[in-house]
Amino acid sequence: MTTHADETASEATTDTSNWTNWLRTKIVGLVPPGQALPDRQPVYVASWIYVFGVLTLASLVVVIGSGCVLAIGGSAWWHVSSLGHYVNSVHLWSVQLLFGFMVIHLWGKFFMAAWRGERALTWISGVVLFAVSIGTSFTGFLAQTNFDAQWIGGQAKDGLNSVGVGAWFNVLNPGQMLMWHIVLLPLVLVALTAMHVILVRRHGVVPPIDAALEG
Amino acid sequence: MRGLSIVAEGAGRYIHWGVIQISQTNLIIIGVMVLLFVLALVVPFPSGHGDHRDEQGRGR
Repeated sequence: MTTHADETASEATTDTSNWTNWLRTKIVGLVPPGQALPDRQPVYVASWIYVFGVLTLASLVVVIGSGCVLAIGGSAWWHVSSLGHYVNSVHLWSVQLLFGFMVIHLWGKFFMAAWRGERALTWISGVVLFAVSIGTSFTGFLAQTNFDAQWIGGQAKDGLNSVGVGAWFNVLNPGQMLMWHIVLLPLVLVALTAMHVILVRRHGVVPPIDAALEG
Repeated sequence: MRGLSIVAEGAGRYIHWGVIQISQTNLIIIGVMVLLFVLALVVPFPSGHGDHRDEQGRGR
């Protein structure tokens, strides 16, 4: 027996002119069914080398969380408060861990040739993420509000002026650098990270080279 | 001036090898990362109880 509700749902699903249906179809189709948060993985994933991607992701969560707390107190908070100094240290050291884990993740994926099996975009998004992360951390060093930040800005301006971007990306402007560090670049980072993780879930974790040959 | 020289003394030790110049701290960090990478490859991964995994990967 078909109810009115069923008919309505069926019509709604097939109506592609409805943007809600279009968006829902796109979201549902991003990853294969059951692969958004899988509780099982192929046997070859039982290796520590596969852990560094998620360790990078966990570090990013701590970086963003501690950054949000720092935003409450402001960029100079850590100079005048022991709590601010502690949160600033958490922010700094979680960034160090993030880069350490990210580089080991990169080494592992490079030697696995992780771009195999239609995973080129996953690899490329990871490379772009690495580059954007470096930019984000550098603008963070410029937001320290101390002589270290001033010295780094003084050194960086010559390089950026030499490539012609100094007029609109002024590393000697602490306000602009702070905005890039806490708004623009994190937005890009989070969007790219979401894309990277969705691509990993979409195509699955890359198998070791010998496993691919056997397959 | 004495204050400045104290700051400079705390800048760290550097290792020079031809054209390569790297701080001792950075060299130690890179060494630890390489060690972690090697350990991640050779240390066995603990398997949980009743851990059934898919035999095949997807998207090969």
